[in-house]
Parts: sequence; structure tokens; C-alpha cells
Amino acid sequence: MLDTTTLTIYELSINVRVSWQAHSLSNAGTNGSNRLMPRRQMLADGSETDACSGSIAKHHHAVLLAEYLAASGTPLCPACQQHDGRRAAALVERPEYKNISVEQILQGCGLCDAHGFLVTAKNANSQQGTEARHRLTKHSLVEFSFALGLPNRTNETSHLFTRVGDSKEEGQMLMKMPARSGDYALIVRYTSVGVGVDTDKWRVAILDDRQRLNRHRAILSTLHDTLLSPDGAMTAAMLPHLTGLQGAIVVRNAVGRAPVYSALREDFIARLSAMRSDTCLVYPFETVDAFHAVMENLVATSAPCLPASYRLQQQQEEKK
Amino acid sequence: MNDTPLSWLAAEYHLPATYSCRLPFSSSNSALVSPAPGPATVRLALIRTGLEIFGRDVVRDSLFPWIRAAPVLIRPPERVALSEQVLRAYKADVDKGRVSFGESVVYRQMAHAQGTMTVYLELPRQERETWETLLRSVGYWGQASSFATCLEVSERVPLRHECAQPLHALSDRIPIRPFFSCVLTEFRDSHVRWQEVIPFDGPYSRTAHNPLKLEVYVWPLQVVRQDGQNTLLMRAPLA
Repeated sequence: MLDTTTLTIYELSINVRVSWQAHSLSNAGTNGSNRLMPRRQMLADGSETDACSGSIAKHHHAVLLAEYLAASGTPLCPACQQHDGRRAAALVERPEYKNISVEQILQGCGLCDAHGFLVTAKNANSQQGTEARHRLTKHSLVEFSFALGLPNRTNETSHLFTRVGDSKEEGQMLMKMPARSGDYALIVRYTSVGVGVDTDKWRVAILDDRQRLNRHRAILSTLHDTLLSPDGAMTAAMLPHLTGLQGAIVVRNAVGRAPVYSALREDFIARLSAMRSDTCLVYPFETVDAFHAVMENLVATSAPCLPASYRLQQQQEEKK
Repeated sequence: MNDTPLSWLAAEYHLPATYSCRLPFSSSNSALVSPAPGPATVRLALIRTGLEIFGRDVVRDSLFPWIRAAPVLIRPPERVALSEQVLRAYKADVDKGRVSFGESVVYRQMAHAQGTMTVYLELPRQERETWETLLRSVGYWGQASSFATCLEVSERVPLRHECAQPLHALSDRIPIRPFFSCVLTEFRDSHVRWQEVIPFDGPYSRTAHNPLKLEVYVWPLQVVRQDGQNTLLMRAPLA
């Protein structure tokens, strides 16, 4: 178990094998038919398996994170308050945001800080009367892999549903929708050193430790919920049964990467555990409640690291 | 730089999940991918990681002259599967100040690998620790969710026939038809300037020259299966 002193986290990875029953969390559309297609991915061993895209997991993480941030008193920009997926990019045409900097965006919005944004550069156009614009960007701090079904450990059944058409004339429609069940390999990476930091230039935009800690806790709490209460497509009538969660949380407490290893491999927990060191802490878990306990502890006792380059700069300035 | 003793460093990467390194000129709405990152992607990843670990001054003044000039070779994983994925995207349309969101479908290939990918770089032997730190700290190639974990960095000379090579560098006697080839980006030359690669560092100025060039590369990978939206590639030496 974690101790009660503050653990500083540079980066954290969650490597899990998650079991979902009767879900349709991520799909590949209807292809013009009345059948909803499940998402499929070919694996390098030549088998084709069920998959769920990381985009949908990331989207739902962002929606819930906005709630956590608001509850903790962290500011959100007007775009994020309205769950506008463009985030800061939705604001730059407004006169009051015209000359905004990355630092100002990060200070003013916890969601833009955590999930990133991209404002594209633009050349001035004298005919249209538009001014040149600099590129403003921040990488997302939370990344989700595709969830990949373990070969021979996923199944699919097709269900016939009826629904009312778009108009009265269309009458009743028949739709075939898949319900999939199985064990999935999923990886999530959270680069906590980037909280309150312009990750293009690696400049710290938020110097207040309390503010960074609030954002960090909100991100971890949301990750906890994302895995324990699955969200995605079709959950209104096909909320998945979560029947298992095992894996390893890897915490890197100094500069460097937290290893990620696929749960498609049977020995993934052993391989990750073998990488344990003073700077690479590994917390294996076999059940949902064990995962819950580790995450709760991390929420309560951890804090985000400051970038190595920033600390180096501080030391040099102190010497002067 | 001319008299500095050099050695080849080999960094092995485990690619634990699906990944996606988009080919240059393939549309973001219908993206084709490379089976592994190309040379410019490797150089840019080292710059990005260097900024994170060492800060701008160290990267610009000490590492960048080597990063732009060092020979880079990439050995792809043993097997790579490519699948086309249909993804949902939102497109914002601005009309007279009003923004409306349209839902759209985009296509993107996703790759899945078996076996490690190796990046070889010829770098100063004296600063091996710095370069090893840098190579170990690369956490993704291309798209940020294209996770990678560095398993090992060692001194090892690459076997060129197991690495991707520019078409022009291949011998006429090698039959290239069975091998996977694609266009990749590489730095224009070994004198590319910092400002050209990192345009945000300093006042914005457009340069006449593109810091990147395009080249056809041949991968030591052969197509062993192709059905519908899936392609399976297996490593085979370019000989």
C-alpha cells in the first residue's frame, strides 16, 4: 500500500485487463445499412478482434473531468463550460481572446490544461480583413489506447431492436445492434508533470501548488471513475456489466516515462512488476476494489511533479 | 563535431497498443499510416523529449546539432497489422459569427505490432548517458496515443538490410516489389536551422525553405495477407 507522505508523480500509467459483458461502447457506424457494426482491429498475430476506440473513452473522461474541476473551484473557459470539444480554439475569434497566450488559457481553464487544445496558425488575409494568428497548442495529459479484445476471449451476439423513424411516415424501423462481451486490454497514460505547464515550451504557467494539486486530484478521480463506471456509446440501454478488472498502476516519481505494457500478454503484470525501482513504483491489483483502493490512495496522497527543466532553471537562478 | 568519436546506439521500443503514424500528404480525413515512424518523426520526437527533460537551451545549443545530422535507421517490428478504422469527427462551421457543429466520418488506419521496433542513431560516444536518457524518455511516436516503452538502449551496429531505407539508396539488384514502401519525411539536410524546426521559439518568421523533404522509403516488410480493410506485414530482410 502507499504510505501517507506525499508521493510526487511525474507520469502514471494504468495497464489493465478489463471485462465488459453485453456492451456496445464503441462502434464503426452502420455503413448505410440497418445494422450497427462493431469496431474490429487486426492484431499482428493475424487474428481479428473486437475493439473500442480511445477517442470515446477520452471524450467521456473530459465530460466528467469538467464536473470534477467545477466542483473543486477550478476555473473553466466559456467553451469548456458548454462542453465544446474545440476547447480554447472555440474562443480565439472572440475579440476579448484575440491576443491570448497559452499561459492565460492554462490559468483560465483546467480542462484545456488537462485535455489539451489546438489553435491553428493563420496568415493575414487583407482581402478578408483577417489578421495573422500564432499557433497555440497544448498536448493532452491523458491518453487512452484502443481497448483490444483478447483473441478467443470475446464474443458477439446480434440483437434486433425496433425504433421509431425520424417522421411519422417512416413508421417503425428495425435495427440490428451487436452486444459484445469479453476481456479487453486497455492502457491509459497520465502525464501529471504537465499540469499547469505549457508542454510545447515546458514553461510552468501555474506556480500555485494548491491549484495544480486540485487539477491533479480531479484528473485522478475521473480516471478512477472512468474505469469503474464504464461510459461510451449505447450506454442508455446497454450499460456494460463490469465483471473484472486486473492489472498494474505504474507511477514514475522522477523524470522519465512510466512503462506501458499490453494486457494482451498473459504475463503483463509480472513484466511490469519486474521493472519496479526507486523511481518506478508498481501497484498490481486483481479486483475492482483493489484498483479502487490504490486510486483512492493516490488521489489522497500524491501531487504532480514539476518539470525537470524548470527545476534545473530554478537551481541555476538560486546559484546566481 | 568532425573529430568526435561516434558510436551506434540501438533503442528498442515495445509498442503495447495500436498506433498511428500518418503518412505525409495523406488526408487527416482518410489517413494512411506507416508501419513505424520515419526518420523525421524520430528526430522531432527527440527534440520534443529533449525540451521536456533538458530544457530549450540545452537542446538548441548542444543536442540539436547532433539530432539534425545523425544518421537514423529504423528497424520495424517483426509483424505489423494495419486496419482501417472509421471514426466519428466533429466539424465546426462558422457562418456569420455563428458556429454550428456537423458530425462527420473520418477514416484512419491503426497499426498493431508484434516484436520490438529498434531505432539506431550514430551519436557522440562521450555523451552516451545523455542520449540514453533521451531515447528512454520517448513515450510515443507520431500520435500522442501511439504509446511506446523503451525496453533497452545498447551500443550496436545496425544491420542495414533489416532497416527502412530510401529507395535511391537501394541496390538495383534488390527486387523491391514484394516490400512495403511509402513516402516518409526526413530533414532537408544536416544544416536545418533551429528556427525552421521550432518556429515558436522566437519571433514568427516564414522561411523560404521547408525544413523537411519527402522521400520514398522501402521497409523490410512483406505483405503476407490483405483482406478488405486489413493488411498484415511480416519482416523480411531487404536482400
